[in-house]
Amino acid sequence: MQSGKSAAEVVATVKPFQIRGRSFTAVALHLTGRPDRAFFQALEARLNQTPLFFENAPLVIDLELADGLDSAEELMRLTAELRRRKLSVFGIQSGTPAQARAANEAGLISLPAGRDVALERVTRQGSRSVPATPAPAPKEPANRMVTQPVRSGQTVFADRGDLVIVGSVSSGAEVIAAGNIHIYGRLRGRALAGVNGDTSARIFCHALDAELLAIAGLYRTSENLGADTPRQYVQVYLQGEVLRIESLK
Amino acid sequence: MSKVIVVTSGKGGVGKTTSSAAIGAGLAMRGHKTVVIDFDVGLRNLDMIMGCERRVVFDFINVIQGDAKLKQALIKDRRLENLFILPTSQTRDKDALTKEGVKAVLDELREEFDYIVCDSPAGIERGAHLAMYYADEAVVVTNPEVSSVRDSDRVLGLLNSKTALAEKGDGSAVKAQLLLTRFDQNRSANGEMMSVDDVLEILAIPLLGIIPESTSVLKASNEGTPVSLDEKSPAGKAYLDAVGRLVGEQIEMRANPGEQRRGFFQRLLGRTA
Repeated sequence: MQSGKSAAEVVATVKPFQIRGRSFTAVALHLTGRPDRAFFQALEARLNQTPLFFENAPLVIDLELADGLDSAEELMRLTAELRRRKLSVFGIQSGTPAQARAANEAGLISLPAGRDVALERVTRQGSRSVPATPAPAPKEPANRMVTQPVRSGQTVFADRGDLVIVGSVSSGAEVIAAGNIHIYGRLRGRALAGVNGDTSARIFCHALDAELLAIAGLYRTSENLGADTPRQYVQVYLQGEVLRIESLK
Repeated sequence: MSKVIVVTSGKGGVGKTTSSAAIGAGLAMRGHKTVVIDFDVGLRNLDMIMGCERRVVFDFINVIQGDAKLKQALIKDRRLENLFILPTSQTRDKDALTKEGVKAVLDELREEFDYIVCDSPAGIERGAHLAMYYADEAVVVTNPEVSSVRDSDRVLGLLNSKTALAEKGDGSAVKAQLLLTRFDQNRSANGEMMSVDDVLEILAIPLLGIIPESTSVLKASNEGTPVSLDEKSPAGKAYLDAVGRLVGEQIEMRANPGEQRRGFFQRLLGRTA
């Protein structure tokens, strides 16, 4: 309902530009003191381990542990040195107000502190095309229980597990689950199980009067359910490429 | 404790304004100080149905925008001393309603009235949303016909999610009850209309009342009299029963309360609905 504009509207109004939120992954370089000779030696050594990984990676200098570093000249020098090593410095983070002003003079932006990704994960990846995106933690299955009738126009979505509805699903309502769908009531609306491609997902309901049934993308509408379809206490499952509806009695 | 009751349906033409007027009058007849508010900005009807259209000077929108005081806009009914009407504007549209404005008016009314009946416009857009937003209870007006039932179902979903009570998130909800209007016992028995049980099975809310299809409703509307003032008509009686249930009385449900001189068998069989 609230999803953006229709294709027709977009075509009808050609805008000179569009603004979209965008998030990037950047490398944070934590300084623990002044960037002296020892620092650059250590940096060289580190860069040589994975020469391609940091090449042209967007980089932000973290100044949380580098209190003294608050002159624009020093920051400019550091930036030039880093850029010479093909590190694309664009800003600082966790700086004091004085450091933020210095960064501004040095042509860098000052960012609020972000959240660091665990070090091992960053260093393990050696490919140039993947700039340190943390692998999402494996999600635990989460079942969802609804104890009220699902009304026309409502959508209930269990994106990581089974969906249990204690009540009826009205015509014009939608129940969607990554896993199975259990309905302790009459199903008059649409039920879509296994939406992430789980072909073993099933739909169970007390009374079947559905507008649409789908498992892993294979669907049947009320029109082609047929008169001999069982209507009470049924389960719906995939047998090969066929959506089967079977009485549980 | 004052109560805000929204009369709503989703679908148009099912009898929201007629029901608002009848319920408002019924509550006032029982001695409750009652005000009926017209939320249908731009399509001013309530004042006509309640027979006070020639006394409208200031309206709900004037009050919201601070151009008039609430006391100036409230119209006192000539027949019932406890009944007041807050008419709406015919020249403005629903955009003139604001959440803050509606809240301020309702809060002021809550101090003085026992019952505040909000007559919702059709649809589920701004006007209908704001009419239900601050409600404590809802009367969902439905005709025994599939599209009306589906729209009511949609409105029940909104009552459960898009109201101040629901947004509190502590499990409180607007108490919704069904008012089945334009019901014809014979046509329902023939299968031309949905039965009471069919409607209740889909909507799954308590039944507040069944208003029989009656010529007295149209006549009362044209005369500008709330139909519940016509105690002889079947519809008027049914509304008075519904109002009784609304304030918490136990009143037996009759599919056709006005029917006189019924035979023994009819009396026996007529009670099942």
